[in-house]
Amino acid sequence: MPKHDTPMMDDLEKGPWPSFVTDLKRQAAKNDQCWDILGQLELSFKDRITHWKHGGIVGVFGYGGGIVGRYSDVPTRFPGVAHFHTVRLNQPSSKFYKTDILRKVCDLWERRGSGMTNMHGSTGDLVLLGTKTDQLEPLFWELTHDLNWDLGGSGSNLRTPSCCLGKARCQHSCIDTQALCHHLTMHYQDEIHRPAFPYKFKFKFSGCPNDCVAAIARSDFAVIGTWKDDIRIDQAAVKGYVNGEFAANGGAHSGKDWGKFNIKKEVLDLCPTNCMWMEGDELKIDNSNCTRCMHCINVMPRALRVGADQGATICVGAKAPILDGAQFATMTVPFVKVDPENEFEEVIEIIEKIWDWWMEVGKNRERVGETIQRVGLPTFLKVMEVDILPQHIREPRSNPYVFWAEEEVEGGWERDVREFRKRNAQ
Amino acid sequence: MALSNDELKAAILEKAMKAPKPQLYIKDFYECDPDTKPRAIKNAANDLVKEGKMTFWSSGSTTMYAAKGRAKDEENR
Repeated sequence: MPKHDTPMMDDLEKGPWPSFVTDLKRQAAKNDQCWDILGQLELSFKDRITHWKHGGIVGVFGYGGGIVGRYSDVPTRFPGVAHFHTVRLNQPSSKFYKTDILRKVCDLWERRGSGMTNMHGSTGDLVLLGTKTDQLEPLFWELTHDLNWDLGGSGSNLRTPSCCLGKARCQHSCIDTQALCHHLTMHYQDEIHRPAFPYKFKFKFSGCPNDCVAAIARSDFAVIGTWKDDIRIDQAAVKGYVNGEFAANGGAHSGKDWGKFNIKKEVLDLCPTNCMWMEGDELKIDNSNCTRCMHCINVMPRALRVGADQGATICVGAKAPILDGAQFATMTVPFVKVDPENEFEEVIEIIEKIWDWWMEVGKNRERVGETIQRVGLPTFLKVMEVDILPQHIREPRSNPYVFWAEEEVEGGWERDVREFRKRNAQ
Repeated sequence: MALSNDELKAAILEKAMKAPKPQLYIKDFYECDPDTKPRAIKNAANDLVKEGKMTFWSSGSTTMYAAKGRAKDEENR
């Protein structure tokens, strides 16, 4: 029986799409709190303001992250959601679950919380929505002892790392994203569970430049698989595509008749650097000009494969703040080996160099991308001991991006320029 | 010369108790000992939380530190 009159919420159940309101009403049969969520949300729609307060000192003993305190500012009207804390669970790499463990976590959450979940939060965690303060410690004990499951990151911590499906299901993957994600999650347990930085810091790992986890847009530290050598070409398969033996794009667009496959129109002319051409019925690629856009490989996966000398590109500093506008990460290290044999030490060395600098130079609540914007990319690249590349510059032909240090100039800044000009053309 | 770990913890706790603001960012504690690396200061502050002398306050996106009893507690407001 509904506890509150919610006409605007009920309106959201109309239409052909699934409705969270219907889900909440279904869950309300088991947990009375869900009526109060609907009631408070109806009030928020009416007042055009949120009635959630967030933040607080809630957490579990020994951890400084994983729980986000949430309180109603109208607790007497909606006592079921007076406390409604969020719990973040560290998802497994690539989000591969057994149904058995999902049932167990849902059963636990119906006993200790509202029963509502968010699969998944934008950082990647499995999010449990809404519990009371006195349930936090028992919930944490059962999660860790009975389900062998840990909390994720929140606050000024390293956030829960996340990765694409990687080599588990994708032939394009140049790195074992799951191994890297798992290793760094275990290696940086302290940074995930306790605050360490001026603000949040996110890792994301994509196996290839298709970047299926959108690491370049969503993470402070994006590891994106790439290759150093040439795209591998199977010329017989190229002919197969041209002759219509294989469906382009792995058959992904087969719901409509697009006509005969046209390699010029659908591949060569769409190459952003025009580095591909046909010589007779042979496909040629000028690999030195390939920007790893992946289009040709995606269209003709039987004929083209990523190169064999594989590693990753590191991009740093993506963010999506509300006021400043979103920013993609900047390519910082063009190629690094990603080697499980040495426990990914090359990647760890880069991470810690960034952290040491940002912890010192970053301001409170400043993402590393904002710190880079403030001090300038050349300063950051100097810290990273990376030489500036033309790709770091928006207009390398017009931007005098090479700056000399005094010790690099003969005679330093004190030399007699007039004397120099006498010997050199103006 | 950098302070010893015990001296550093004492300086952090004193700042947390006496600062006009009840909740402080981790960077606010850097001035307790400019010769100590930020990571060591963070570890000392987190140890104080573990010992129950300080508490974390988190908005969900940012975390701050406070001496026990000084943090803004939404639950009891």
